[in-house]
This record gives sequence, structure tokens and C-alpha cells, in this order.
Amino acid sequence: MIRRSMVLWVILASLFGAAMFLIKHEVQVREAWLDTLHREILASQEAIQVLRAEWSYLNQPVRIEALIRRHMDLRPTNTAQIGGIDALPVRLRNADARAEVAQ
Amino acid sequence: MSPRVPPQGDSIDAIPTVRIEGNAKQAIEVGRNRLLVAGMFFAVAFTLVAVRLVDIAAFRGGGEPSVVRESSATVLKTGRADIVDRNGLLLATSLSVPSLYADPKEVIDVEAAAQRLITVLDHLSAAKVAAKLKATKRFVWIQRGLTPRQQYRINALGIPGLHFQREERRVYPQGSLTSHIVGYAGTDSVGLGGLEKQFDGMLRDGAQPLKLSLDVRIQHILREEIGRQMVKFDGIGGAGVVLDANTGEVIAMVSLPDFDPNLTGAAAEDARFNRATLGVYEMGSTFKIFNTALALDSGSATMNSGYDATNPIRIARFTINDYHAKRRWLSVPEIFMYSSNIGSVKMALDFGLAAQRGFMGKLGFLAPLSVELPERGTPITPSPWRRINTMTIAFGHGIAVSPLHLASGVASMVNGGIRWPVTVLKRDSSARTVGKQVISKRTSKQMRQLLRLVVENGTGRKAAAEGYLVGGKTGTAEKPGESGAYARKALLSSFVAAFPMHDPRYVVLVMIDEPKGNKESHGYATGGWVAAPAVRRIVSRSAPLLGLLPMDEQSPEIRQVLEIELLAEKGRKRLASF
Repeated sequence: MIRRSMVLWVILASLFGAAMFLIKHEVQVREAWLDTLHREILASQEAIQVLRAEWSYLNQPVRIEALIRRHMDLRPTNTAQIGGIDALPVRLRNADARAEVAQ
Repeated sequence: MSPRVPPQGDSIDAIPTVRIEGNAKQAIEVGRNRLLVAGMFFAVAFTLVAVRLVDIAAFRGGGEPSVVRESSATVLKTGRADIVDRNGLLLATSLSVPSLYADPKEVIDVEAAAQRLITVLDHLSAAKVAAKLKATKRFVWIQRGLTPRQQYRINALGIPGLHFQREERRVYPQGSLTSHIVGYAGTDSVGLGGLEKQFDGMLRDGAQPLKLSLDVRIQHILREEIGRQMVKFDGIGGAGVVLDANTGEVIAMVSLPDFDPNLTGAAAEDARFNRATLGVYEMGSTFKIFNTALALDSGSATMNSGYDATNPIRIARFTINDYHAKRRWLSVPEIFMYSSNIGSVKMALDFGLAAQRGFMGKLGFLAPLSVELPERGTPITPSPWRRINTMTIAFGHGIAVSPLHLASGVASMVNGGIRWPVTVLKRDSSARTVGKQVISKRTSKQMRQLLRLVVENGTGRKAAAEGYLVGGKTGTAEKPGESGAYARKALLSSFVAAFPMHDPRYVVLVMIDEPKGNKESHGYATGGWVAAPAVRRIVSRSAPLLGLLPMDEQSPEIRQVLEIELLAEKGRKRLASF
């Protein structure tokens, strides 16, 4: 009786021991992986920070204005160029009327 | 009774039976009872432990979270929090940069190492680098704050004895654009000026970026236009403000000359001086805005009353005269429109000294601003406040305030009479700040009409940005010279405006320090010639960015709100009170 229960307990203990070892090992592996990920995240965040600074630097209005002057035909908007829909004349429904106006 | 000790499990069988009587039996009874009590106590205790164990293990008691949260921080901790503009564009940030140092003991060939090193760091001289590498110390800085490319190339050189160390460095990507507001931090990331100094502690432990009310685009427009006028009229400095009239937020603020906060060591003292908040100036005629507002608000004058501005006023050794002299009776709108000193002085004498001082206090002109910058100028006010001070303050002399004071005061004159505390931080729209009513709504409406009149017909015609209903007032002050006497040639020309005038959203102030007249301005260096054109360009360039649509200035709705009748001087002269 004692011997049988002893055997049972020994088997259980070694099973739990083995399970514990495996789980602990797995946790260690995952923790190492997590550390790597953290380091990578920090490195990426640092890189992003540098890029954000560079983005702001490249967005200096002085620089953009100079670039536009050099490469494009854009000019500051004239007040007369801005208008609303309600400022437009009424659209003529009739095709004949449109043709008449066109003439 | 029972002579036998009851059997205690299997093992007892093997022991021979013993009879115990009398005292000994009683002692054993006591012992048994005690054992029983102790045994039960332990049984209960172990049961409790077991129950708790099951509870924790199986039913996750004890507040264990079901999802594991990692404790190590994955958030990048930089030395200082960022500063961003109202649209989130970075104005100041901390980067970790490599710095190059050498351990001279490890360097094998000093001369060769120095020669190769200056191929990358070409601003250093080989002799100086060699001297550093020959030092007897074990640590010597070669260059702090390398670019990533420099680091890569130095690494590629493969010189033994050179090492890198990561260091925090404050970087201002927008350079000198926001220098006076953002300020600057020293080599060891200690805030030394501007917001960097004001919020030093907060920036140090905060991870959240500090969000400013500035808009970099408007800031650029303001800086460019003021710089243009400074060059054109050969001014020694300039300042400008764009203020949200209804919240007190500073949308743009410029002080020229400025400096690059990335290279603070090179900045001159004059460039570091913030003319917009730290400098206090006698603002001249722009103060007639407050003079007229007080007269209308206190009831000492109405839009229909007027004053005789025929003769100059002589008091003590001064003569107060008009720049655009009309030499006749002028109505209140005319006094404002032609910027008559004589009329303004007479207006001030009507409401008196106490009312004026009280009003200046209500506008905040007697104390430094509450803006979040360490560079805040204390206004210079007369002490004691005499009758002559009341007369000069009527046209903006004898009291010196910062340009931001002036802009804030004008905002409360046009926005319905409410004074908002000025801020350079973005206001949370949910958090309502409390403004103070300084003039009545009715007076504010009249001020809007008067300011519009100046741009339509008066001294500020050059500020008329078509479609945006600009209203404003010119100011040309003579600067006090070394001896305290006013210098005729040293002027301070300014223009303060608000737009759109039927429902003002923004206040614009432009001030040029010591402009000189040129051919184009027919020799004039007044606010109307120097500052007003800049205001026109600033308004027409920035209004679309601020989301304002141009409107028909002649439309009846707008005319009705803003138009005032100019009195025919002859007919009404008799009715006016002198």
C-alpha cells in the first residue's frame, strides 16, 4: 500500500518537475525574445524620432517656399480666385436657353 | 473505565498493551486532549491553506490579471519631452547622438590618426586633434554631437582608441523660426530661455509633448513680412504678433533679429532679446484705441460729440500738436481717423486721470503679462500719475508696454469687450477659461467701426487686404533718446489690426524699430507707410490658411454693421460739447 502510493507520488513529482522545467525553459526563451523585441522597438522609436525631426526640418516653410519658387508655377492665392457656390449664377435647365446664352 | 489505550492505527498493534491507572491515566487524558486540540487547529489551518491554494491556482483569486502586462518600458525615454506647434509639427526634440572621444593610451600612431580623422571632421585642424590625442589623460572629447553619417565614416576609418558615447542633444528642426518662444536648452539639456526655461521641470519628466498655440505657417509669414519691411526701411529691429481675438492664443509671435537655437553660443545679446514680450515701448497713436474706447465706454464722449483741434495745446514746456493737422473742430470718429493728438488729449481730460489709470489697470497694462514665458517685460508707468501723464498717455506716450500687451488690449477692444489671458499654449476647447469684461459690447462694436474707418478712409489705407475687412490703427512714436529727450529721427512705427472686422477673429500687430524713410515712401517712416503694408500682406497670405473666406466688402449686411456717418463739421458744431 505504502509502496504503491510512493510510486504514484514519485511519478507525479517527476512529471510535475519535468513540466516545470519545460515551462520555465519556454518562459526563458520567450523572455529573451521579448527583450530582443523591446530593444528593437526602442531602436525603431529612436529612428522614428530622428525621422520626425528630419521631417520637421524638411518642412521648414522657408525651404518649401524656395522649392516651390524654383520648381513650380504656384503663386499665393488671389482673393478674387476664392468664391462660393452661391456666388455662381443660376444654372439654366433648358438646353436652348444655354445655347442662347452661349451665343 | 476502559483499561486499554484505544488502538491508534495499525502500528499500535505491535506494541504490548499497557494498563495505566490513577494519576498517570489522568495525565495521559490531558495530553490526549491537548493533542486533539492542536491537531484540529493544524487540520483547519492546512485546510484553509489548501482552499486558498485552489482558489488562487484555479479561480485566480488575489487580483492576478488575466492578461500579463510587461513591466519593462517600451516607451522611448528621452531626456526632455518634445515641443510641437498647434498642428503637431516638431519644434524641439531630444535626440540621442553619438559623441566621439578618444583614449590616448590606445592610439598607436597619433599623427596618422589625426590626419585621417580630419578627412571626416573637416572643420577641425590636424594639429589640434593630434594635441588632444597626445594628452596624458585616458579620456578626451574629440567632437560632441556627430551626425549618423560622420559616425559611420569614423567607424569605417578603424582607428584604434576612438570610441563613441551616446549623448542627449536638444534639436530645433525649425531653426530660428520660433527661437524666442520655444527658447533654447544648453549642452546638458537645461532650459535657458523661452518655454524651455519656463517648463524645464515639466519637460524633464514629461513624456507628453508640450503643444503650443503657434502655427508654424503663420509664424513664417509674419517673420518674412516683418523682415522684409525691416530691410526695406533699414530698421534695427521688429516685432509682430498674431493673436486669436476670442481665446487669447498667440498664433504667431516674432521678434527680429532672432537666432538659431541650435547654435545659441553664436547668438548676439540683441538677437536673444524678445522685443515682443520683454521689450517695453511707448506705442504712440495705437493707444488712441484705448483712449477712445474709454471715452465712449465711460460716456464722457459719444460718436456724435467732438472737440476743437484748431490750436496746439501748450503745457509746461511741451507743445502737443497734430501730425495730420486739420486745424478745425473734429468729431470723435474724425479724431480717431486722422489720429489727432489734440482731440485725444481733450478727450482724456474729459474722463480724467482716475478713470484712465483704472482702465489701464483693467487692460493689464500696469503689470507684466501672464503669458508662459520667462521673458516678460514690466510696463513703465508714470509715478506719480499727473495731469500731464494723462494727457500724453492719451496718444501713447508716457506709458511703455510690450507689443504683446498692446495686441492683447486690442483683442479685448474688438471681441465684444472681453479680456482673455494671453497664452502660447494650445487651449483645450473643453476647458473654458474665464475672461473679464472690460468694456461694454456696444463700445466694442463702435470700436470695430472706428478701426474699420481708419483703414477705409484714414491713416491705415495701406493695410486694406481686400476681402478680409481689415480694421486697424497706425502708431508712430518717437523714441526717447539717451538723454531722455525724444529723438525726431528715431521712430517706432507700428500698425495694429484686427480682421475680419464685422466679427474679428485675429489681431495682427506689426512694429518696426527705427525705420528710415526712403524714396518709395517719400521719406516717410510712419506706421501707415512702414507697418501697414506688411499687415496687408500678412492678412491676405494667412487668412486662407486660417480658414477665412474673403467676402464682399460692399455687401449691405457688412456695410450696415461697420459703416458710420462722418459728421459734417459745420452743421453739428454748435451741438457738440466742448
